[in-house]
Amino acid sequence: MKFISIFLLLLLSFSFCDAQNELLGVDEQGKFIYYELVEINGMPSAQLSEKVTDFLKKTFKDVKQKEVHGDSSFMAVGKLVINKTVLVMSHPSGEISYHFRAEVKDGKYRFWLSNFNFIPYYRDRYGNFVAATHKGTPLENNPGKLNAVQWREYQIQAAQYAHHFAQSFKDYMIGKTETPNDRLERTIVKKNW
Amino acid sequence: MKIKILLSLSALGLATITYAQDTAPSPLQISGSVDTYYKYDFNKAGNIKTYFANEQNSISLGMIDLALKKTTGKASFVGELSFGPRGQAQSIPNANGVYDETTNSFHIQNLYVSYAFTEKFSMTAGYMGTFVGYEVISPTANFNYSTSYLFGSGPFQNAGIKASYTFSDKVSLMAGLFNDWNVYQDFNGVSHIGAQLTISPVEGWTAYLNVLSGKSAGAAGTGTILDLTTAYQITEKFKLGLNAADYTISDDNGGYAGVAIYPQYSFTPSFALGLRGEGFKIKGVGAAPEATVTSLTLSGNIKSGGLTFIPEIRFDDDKDFSQSFMKNGLGIKSASQFSLAAVYSF
Repeated sequence: MKFISIFLLLLLSFSFCDAQNELLGVDEQGKFIYYELVEINGMPSAQLSEKVTDFLKKTFKDVKQKEVHGDSSFMAVGKLVINKTVLVMSHPSGEISYHFRAEVKDGKYRFWLSNFNFIPYYRDRYGNFVAATHKGTPLENNPGKLNAVQWREYQIQAAQYAHHFAQSFKDYMIGKTETPNDRLERTIVKKNW
Repeated sequence: MKIKILLSLSALGLATITYAQDTAPSPLQISGSVDTYYKYDFNKAGNIKTYFANEQNSISLGMIDLALKKTTGKASFVGELSFGPRGQAQSIPNANGVYDETTNSFHIQNLYVSYAFTEKFSMTAGYMGTFVGYEVISPTANFNYSTSYLFGSGPFQNAGIKASYTFSDKVSLMAGLFNDWNVYQDFNGVSHIGAQLTISPVEGWTAYLNVLSGKSAGAAGTGTILDLTTAYQITEKFKLGLNAADYTISDDNGGYAGVAIYPQYSFTPSFALGLRGEGFKIKGVGAAPEATVTSLTLSGNIKSGGLTFIPEIRFDDDKDFSQSFMKNGLGIKSASQFSLAAVYSF
């Protein structure tokens, strides 16, 4: 009975994993993209712009703002580090860089993540994992049969990250997410009695 | 019981790939590699004895390499141990400070602690892979499996204390005090100074200008090595590397100089070809003549997950008979070999 329970648990785990194994959609050029248009009734574009700038500064430490066009268009670059884990063993095996763009208008904004490129890591002479190259391979590329399974994992991780990033961004835009500074605020415990 | 064993084995086989969360604490990193090779020398002798891949017509061992790294706040450590010919007597000294497989070994490739005082300034102390040169001991960080004469002649490790400062994304500087080359303990005091200037003029191009100078215990003079190591990822598929070095021991006590160039082309993420062309000169001591060696190596990298196959063909020309190449018991000027290595990294 115990083994049947363990078997069912493992089966459920795999089913859950499978449900999350979706890839990103592709744009007209065949490149992976995560795109969303969001409406926030009544919020002026100036306030939305301020929130986008704040988000890029405060939320994801690996996201850096690169361009601002006027008060309504923003571009940033970011990366997610991919970890390979076998039981207790874990180390970075590569990173996926991406571009984030956001545009705002009165009462609405749109954003997208695109240009996903994979850069493998290797262990250098000092035992640190570092990028093997500066020019990544587009994540849409066919890696060949030998690396197909691992490559698909990278694509799945990019999709999961994009959903996570998008949710954080949307939450921030409606003031739902706490910033790291908020988290640092301490509750004062008084010892009066 | 059998089911328990099966479940345990299944769990061991489960490797997961996940992206690192910003808020996750830094885990203990465990990584390493295993390598083995077959070499066939076309003169049917154990020629081309540059470090590693030196055993003729034999399926031979490289090493098993195990590395631990942990970062807690601003402090971190790295401990890397290796076992096997490549990771013991061929590249690291034993407890007595000599390269001898028959006596006990410390097995240590890296053992150091580091503290990042700021994002730009850090200090590191311990026993570290050398900062000099293009190629390294670990087969996972080299494109070719056999190694160059420059690699075999230069330092492998430097024990010492060093400070690193990053001026900008394009410039950083390391300077430090070091023991003699490749020793755990310096018997004539901390005797070497070294520095590395790192420049990244454009994205994808990094150059390291290295200097290491000092008088080793029992040495005839002060040895100074000047080294340029650079690599430029020119396109997504093409990378060009270069290593040039000059080592001189004062008072005409010899040294070496050489240049190696490394063009590499990735046809797919799983398959790449790379060439290494090298010219190497051994400086004569006193009135002794110089000797020169040239070498050409063509290697393939075929990757599948953590496994890399490295088929390789190499041609060496030793016009001054400094490398003792042999054929049918007689000395000759040239040697060539084929090797096939399998390197697994985890």
